[in-house]
Amino acid sequence: MRHSEEEQEIRGFFQAMIEKDLEIPTPDFPEFKKTKTVNWWIPIGVAACLVAGFFLFGEKESVASPPIGEVVIITLEEGPDQEMQFNIEHTTEMDIWESPTASLLTEY
Amino acid sequence: MNRNQLESFLRDHHREAFLWARQCCGFDGELAKEVIQQVYLKILEGKAKLKNEDYPKTWLFAIIRFTAIDEQRKAGKTESLGAEVEIICEEQEAEAENYEALIRRLPKMQQEVMLMVFYHEMTLEQTAEVLKLHIGTVRTHYDRGKKKLKEWIEKMRIEK
Repeated sequence: MRHSEEEQEIRGFFQAMIEKDLEIPTPDFPEFKKTKTVNWWIPIGVAACLVAGFFLFGEKESVASPPIGEVVIITLEEGPDQEMQFNIEHTTEMDIWESPTASLLTEY
Repeated sequence: MNRNQLESFLRDHHREAFLWARQCCGFDGELAKEVIQQVYLKILEGKAKLKNEDYPKTWLFAIIRFTAIDEQRKAGKTESLGAEVEIICEEQEAEAENYEALIRRLPKMQQEVMLMVFYHEMTLEQTAEVLKLHIGTVRTHYDRGKKKLKEWIEKMRIEK
């Protein structure tokens, strides 16, 4: 009984304190800017670069390369008097040319 | 709780949190505003994490208390919890109707226990959780605080 009376008295004291504290103004709730976890400008920029690269370089790749005109083949060969001579040949296709030293691969 | 839920929870408990911060800062409203700002940042930036979602209020109150202690230390307002403080405080006379002055006459731990239980309506278990104390220690502070406060209230009533 005494215990509850004591508590009642203290509760009354705190109740009066709470009522007095109603005069204390509450500060405004601070505003916090949300920090975005993903900066969308980065992936958008990468995508834009890829698209631009595709249009700029992709088109060039699709253009057929012009046929090779005349091919000049200069070889160094040993002459009849065992002197080294330059041999200049003109051709339009590279497949017909055979290296003068190719025989080394088969003969030795 | 995600960020939006946490923000909503903080908005709902804003006034109570501010009043508790003010009480932890020795009834200094300006310091309490700084404390509350830092507490919200700690929570919303994920530096303080809620482990048990059943007791978010005790978690919030504990963060406020520790942040207030840090801020008071920075501001050079720390006071020891020793017996000397108790003796000095008792010598000061509180004015009638000045509830804060009467509370301040109690030692710091008794102040906090009494405020948590009677002002913020927390149980002794919740108070122990906020103050990070053993329940037995909280009970001791609670009984001593009640006894002293009752004496002073009666004394003030007689003086009136």
